[in-house]
Amino acid sequence: MRRSAILLILLLLACRSGIPAGLKYYWNSDPRSLDPALSTDVPTGEAVTLLFDNLTEFDTEGRLVPGLATGWSASTNGMTWTFRLRRGVTFHNGAAVDVAAIYGSLRRALRMGKQGGRVWPLLPIDGAAAVVDSGAPDLRGFRTINDSTIAFTLTRPLNIFPKLLAMPVAAIVPTPVPDDFGEAPIGSGPWQFVSWSHDDLLVFARNEHYWRGPALADTLRVRIIPEVFTQGAEYESGRLSVVEIPGGETERWQGTHRAELQQRTAIRAWYVAINTRRGPLADVRIRQALNHAVNIPAILERVMHNRGTLAAGSIPPGLDGYDATRPRYAYDPDLARKLLREAGHADDLHFELWRSPRAEFARIAQAIQADLEKVGITIDIVERDAATARAAARSGKADLFLADWYADYPDGENFTYPLFHSSNAGTGGNYAFLKEAVLDSLLVRTRTTTDSNEKVQLLRRIDARVFDLAPWIFCWFPTDMWAMRPDVRGWSYPLVFTGQRWTGVSTVP
Amino acid sequence: MIRYVALRLALLIPTLLGVLAITFALLSLAPGDPVTAILGERADSAAITRVRTELHLDDPLYLRFGHYVADVATGHLGRSYITHRPIARELIQRFPATLKLATAAMSIAIVLGLLIGILGAIEPGSFADRIGTLAAYLGISFPVYWVGLLLILLFAVVLRVLPPSGYGGAIFLILPAATLGMRSIAMLARMTRASMQESLQSDLVRTARSKGVTERAVVLRHALRNALLPIITVIGLDFGAYLTGSILTETIFSWPGVGRYVLTAIDKRDLPAIQGSILFLSLVFVIANLVTDLCYAAADPRVAYD
Repeated sequence: MRRSAILLILLLLACRSGIPAGLKYYWNSDPRSLDPALSTDVPTGEAVTLLFDNLTEFDTEGRLVPGLATGWSASTNGMTWTFRLRRGVTFHNGAAVDVAAIYGSLRRALRMGKQGGRVWPLLPIDGAAAVVDSGAPDLRGFRTINDSTIAFTLTRPLNIFPKLLAMPVAAIVPTPVPDDFGEAPIGSGPWQFVSWSHDDLLVFARNEHYWRGPALADTLRVRIIPEVFTQGAEYESGRLSVVEIPGGETERWQGTHRAELQQRTAIRAWYVAINTRRGPLADVRIRQALNHAVNIPAILERVMHNRGTLAAGSIPPGLDGYDATRPRYAYDPDLARKLLREAGHADDLHFELWRSPRAEFARIAQAIQADLEKVGITIDIVERDAATARAAARSGKADLFLADWYADYPDGENFTYPLFHSSNAGTGGNYAFLKEAVLDSLLVRTRTTTDSNEKVQLLRRIDARVFDLAPWIFCWFPTDMWAMRPDVRGWSYPLVFTGQRWTGVSTVP
Repeated sequence: MIRYVALRLALLIPTLLGVLAITFALLSLAPGDPVTAILGERADSAAITRVRTELHLDDPLYLRFGHYVADVATGHLGRSYITHRPIARELIQRFPATLKLATAAMSIAIVLGLLIGILGAIEPGSFADRIGTLAAYLGISFPVYWVGLLLILLFAVVLRVLPPSGYGGAIFLILPAATLGMRSIAMLARMTRASMQESLQSDLVRTARSKGVTERAVVLRHALRNALLPIITVIGLDFGAYLTGSILTETIFSWPGVGRYVLTAIDKRDLPAIQGSILFLSLVFVIANLVTDLCYAAADPRVAYD
């Protein structure tokens, strides 16, 4: 018996599998495709960032940096953007990245828009909508000036246009693309595609001819690991280079892996959208009362382990327009009751709070329900799968909707225009159905101005106005926390999901 | 026997047609819109309308069902709304992983379950029997999810002798197979013990012993064979269930099988992928049941299919 036990232990030790060399990363789910034109999810976006180049790109700090374009400028009216192209860049198959490839990539992405993809970043280009809707053969707003200069004419002035070109859907692909491109892509990015075993593993090899210089490591393996606990176990057993720390595990990791942790405030907002068109919620006093009635700091501490910055507006810290001096709605149930009385609704309010099944959302919704009960507001929590809950919010059926908003690109505009302009009511992201003429005008101006100082001032005014109108219960901007193995160098968690290319990351023996 | 098998295979057609109809009806009634998942959260209403029209989602239900049945009849399960890849190819790619895990889990369960059950039946009330009975109770009571996490913690994080998750050689199979097979070990142990105890007291065994047959031969050749029918039932049912995807085990251990494919399809409201998966898995389950039924005849000459 004892001999058998010893043999079993020896067998286990003997078959202890080797840990693969190179960089080891993971995604929660399989990318839907490796084709930039079909990118809607984060894993696909990150994969596209590794494999392809864009005209413009984001670095880990969220700064817009030159990609395949070495520089760009806008016309004085902001309608035309001219890009100077980098010379000598080639795809992984040796073909040149030229004007034809750039034009072909953007037109192809638009033509595939019907199949579903994040085509909206390209729609500001004149004629883009016609390519999507009616399959127009040419992209009218694209102009070749010479073999190293191109220009885009837009349908209206848009100062964020260069940032939109850094989105995955605007990645440059060969023209024509090879067969089965979504499964075996060819780009010009820092990593070349090697293999993809669905729901299991993607392997990338460094591009020795990358125009920024080859990556420090020769291999990047990306596992697909859906379960958070397993991700942590993979890291602790040395099989992942980095791992995200879930909120509930914060104290444990701070105790055991403190030196390996890094954290930063994310450009994401957690909030409860208040449908400003539904009954009493149209009254700003009721909406402000909701903000005063919910003890957000306590919820942040209990549910999120203080992993977040309390919000007094919709623009997160680190972006133009954020105002750290603005005081948030204080937790003050008495003031909330006073506002409700003034609005003529002392104790007769009854709302539905919709949410998706995320564990944190469940606890947050319960805490909000309990707080609002104390001021006489009855809340029914409606839990549905994410798509159904969002559909209810989009259609205006939900009184209150617990949600988060993450940045597509790092700009205060991305936290204001989609969320509060009346044209985005419902489907566009304005789940509060806010409609105010002055605000609309400011929001449009913040997109069109070519004066960056004016834009900052506009964003601050918008954020202050939104705060006063209280279309949300303002919660917090979460703090992301990641651990990096002691043998890994040069990795930092990017501000936007397309900001980390793993080129400067290496491992030491 | 051949006639019986042919009849059972022919019955597959109405069975699968019924599965198709029920699945289609349930998915049509379920809330949620696949177009949001296809286009991403930031899609505008014009894009949503465009894609709904393109996918015929606004067509009458009977028309959509008719088209789907016609496609399936010609061997096409369609393409995923989300990935645009052929669903049949996706399922065929993932099924070997599920088969591998199911086979390993069932092998562990058969070896350990029968061993514990036989030992308990030979010496009821002994220390080994009590431990076995306790382990069987625990095996049935513990949730798979919790057992999986504990095994990862112990063998991958604390002892570091096994990988926490992933797909590869035999070493990657140990933890998920043990986790998945645990319930079957417990069921088989209890079933074997009860069935063997009954068998050991039968006239057949008494006769064998009186003829001077060795105790080992009595137990393994006579008593066990006589007790096999209920054991085969448990094995068949559990193996069929494992083959149709073990969503929890595959998720915890990042195992790239059909269970995770189905889960993702449901999460994304990927209607053709859900329908195709359920159809495929129904087929697998029905075939697993048929094989179980055929095993009865092999194990017991009294069972004959004419």
